[in-house]
Amino acid sequence: MPIATTELKTKIIESLNLQDIAPEQIEDDAPLFGAGLGLDSIDALELVVMLEKNYGIVIKDIEEGRPAFKSVRTLADFIDARRSN
Amino acid sequence: MADRSPVITGLGVISALGSGIDEIWPAIVSGQSGLRPLTLFQSPRYGQIPVGEITRDLAEIGAPLHGSRSDKLAWLAARDAIRSANLDTQSVADRTGVLLGSSVGGTHDTERFLTALIKHGKMLARPTRFHECSSPADLVAESFGLFGPSFAISTACSSGALAIATAAELIQSGQADVMLAGGTDSLSHTTWAGFHSLLLVDMQGGCRPFDVARGGMSFGEGAAVLIIEAEEHARKRGAKILARLTGWGASCDAHHVTAPHPEGAGALAAMQSSLRRAQLTPKDIGYVNAHGTGTRDNDMAEGKALKSLFGANVPPFSSTKRFFGHTLAASGAIEAIVCIEALRRQQLPENPGFSEIDPAIGLSPVTKMRPEKLTHVMSNSFGFGGNNATLIFSTAETVPQTRPTPSIPAIVTGLGIIAPEKDFVSERAIQPPLPPDSIKVRACGALDVSTLTPNQRRRLSRITQMAILAARRSHAPDTTKRLAVVLGTGFGCIDEGAVFIENLIAKDEVEPMPTRFPGSVHNAPAGQVAIDLSAHGLNSAPTMGEISFESALWQAMNQIAIGEADEALAGGVDELNKYALAIGKRWGFWTEQTIPGEAAVFANLASTTTKKTSLARVTTVRLGRYRRPFDAKREADWIAAAVDLSKVNIVLSGAKGWSEFDAHYNSVVEELSRRTGRALTHQTYKQDCGEFYSASAVGFSVAVELARQQQCVVLLYTLSSRSGKALCCIEP
Repeated sequence: MPIATTELKTKIIESLNLQDIAPEQIEDDAPLFGAGLGLDSIDALELVVMLEKNYGIVIKDIEEGRPAFKSVRTLADFIDARRSN
Repeated sequence: MADRSPVITGLGVISALGSGIDEIWPAIVSGQSGLRPLTLFQSPRYGQIPVGEITRDLAEIGAPLHGSRSDKLAWLAARDAIRSANLDTQSVADRTGVLLGSSVGGTHDTERFLTALIKHGKMLARPTRFHECSSPADLVAESFGLFGPSFAISTACSSGALAIATAAELIQSGQADVMLAGGTDSLSHTTWAGFHSLLLVDMQGGCRPFDVARGGMSFGEGAAVLIIEAEEHARKRGAKILARLTGWGASCDAHHVTAPHPEGAGALAAMQSSLRRAQLTPKDIGYVNAHGTGTRDNDMAEGKALKSLFGANVPPFSSTKRFFGHTLAASGAIEAIVCIEALRRQQLPENPGFSEIDPAIGLSPVTKMRPEKLTHVMSNSFGFGGNNATLIFSTAETVPQTRPTPSIPAIVTGLGIIAPEKDFVSERAIQPPLPPDSIKVRACGALDVSTLTPNQRRRLSRITQMAILAARRSHAPDTTKRLAVVLGTGFGCIDEGAVFIENLIAKDEVEPMPTRFPGSVHNAPAGQVAIDLSAHGLNSAPTMGEISFESALWQAMNQIAIGEADEALAGGVDELNKYALAIGKRWGFWTEQTIPGEAAVFANLASTTTKKTSLARVTTVRLGRYRRPFDAKREADWIAAAVDLSKVNIVLSGAKGWSEFDAHYNSVVEELSRRTGRALTHQTYKQDCGEFYSASAVGFSVAVELARQQQCVVLLYTLSSRSGKALCCIEP
């Protein structure tokens, strides 16, 4: 079953301690890094930990995760693809 | 004042590649690597990756039995450096200090305490005795009987280089004739897992700096110590001059906690500053020992900085990190020794691990060791917090162009204080994994973080937020000013570090905490203050128990004196932490008088020529170490040599904290009163802010207010529990 983006948003908020943001404020296709939520390279590493903790996905090179971290939608697709492998 | 030019007369080094330069250099010539399988601790996830571990039995080669692993490495390097300089330490004891960089400190030993506690519920606090990053400098000074200015610098991977630069300043300003300077860091599970959590470690055989296929850094441990002397002193005792330290410079990216400025702006500024200091031009530099960690971000930024500085004529350069592994705070000192040997032997060390040029950088390092005519060489060290330091070494025969650095007063233009409310004592519950307990504390209240950015609120630890809020209160923003930030701390970000290690041990390396790791280094608050205030000047985190603040004050004032900063923030910060509370209680530290406290204090300093309104002037800062048994007459002599006692009204001391020091303080004030023929007023501050390492920063703010309101001269006098002492004179 594909992952629900709402669930993923909750996990992102939790792992990055995004105190002032509600899941519905994050759009599926909005960029997560840079202008979007103002996330940076350290947040990307927290997402790496979040992926392993919740979905058992291990990323050893941050370049591998980079395309997946573009938006909530790309991250959801990445998780689905890894889980179906 | 060329006679106070810093010269190098001795060196000592211990590393995975060998001990002593006579063992290390042949290994470099033959292209050996010190990287080998990890044995120091268990690493379930990353144990197969080679590291620069020292496998020798340290006790067998003479290391003291007591002390952390970092302490012992530093001691061994210091012993060899003293021997190689033929230095009779006893005859120069009062004018010789110790300045060591350390970022790991006793963390490796503290991990044993936490493992026993978390995994087996056992409270074996002994290994934490040497936890602090100042412990190596303390141990070396204690053990070799040195009483000059001594402290530690903890600015992550630039610590060793910055310690060497600061030692040179102490010599040039006349505070010392001889300095033992360098860096030390042992391997620790914390730093090992921390760098892995940042995905910065090369998972294959070893780092490949500047290579297109680089995969990150390799890890290592070690220590290196230089004997730096004023030239006149070295000549007088007939010491052999190995090389000169002709240039040094520091800067801060003020960009990001872990990532360097993408254009290498901070790296460039540090290199330029070192050239200014040496009065050299880029074409004079014959070799650059690069920081060259082998991470993508570092190599890109450093490559760009080299091209910006040297244009099309980048001199031969190499990273020697693969020989030793990245030894963090020791790396700048180890690489300084590599540079000195390169000068002495007129040989260029190669860059192991490099095979194919990275088109994005377009530079190729030295690939095979070769002879080269060298006169001036440069060494780069960069660290977390955007901390950059560059050193320039020159052959013994060169004529130094160093400028004198007069010790000049500075004015205080602003104070920012986050401190406990007077008369407010509360009970702090001790949390697991420690046994349940509660201890009386003087705590700062809830912080008003409404002015912080969302990223500062969600990501920064409380101690860093305290530092930012105090810094903002002290400083009137003025973007045209070159601003230095120097923040003294005893325990640093001990809460953040504790959470990281607790998690590491409890979960066996799974689910690490990548935000907390760079947030746990001593210089995290100073680095975040620099980002917040766009402060691109020196960024430093000195640490030395109770004189951590005064060490910072000296370093900040010196930046103004040498013209490298227009304004400088000098501060002190420490936080209450459950481990320090619980272990302190077990060891009987906390009593009705001695109540643990915390605070963040910054003073904004400017040159006396500035037009800004002055709250008070700081006319003297002196650092040193006292002898045991404590001798009030000797201490009074030391104070009288630095300030005109006839104008002093008040002595503000660190009494009413640890009660064992009250008698020392009282006896010194009595002796000073006797000499001046007046009863000097003895005042204290710890009854209000509590006892913590950087409490004298609160004392300093009290002294500034006393000087301003009562138009009187105040001596701030501080003793540390491990024999450090500091003196500041604050005048209207």
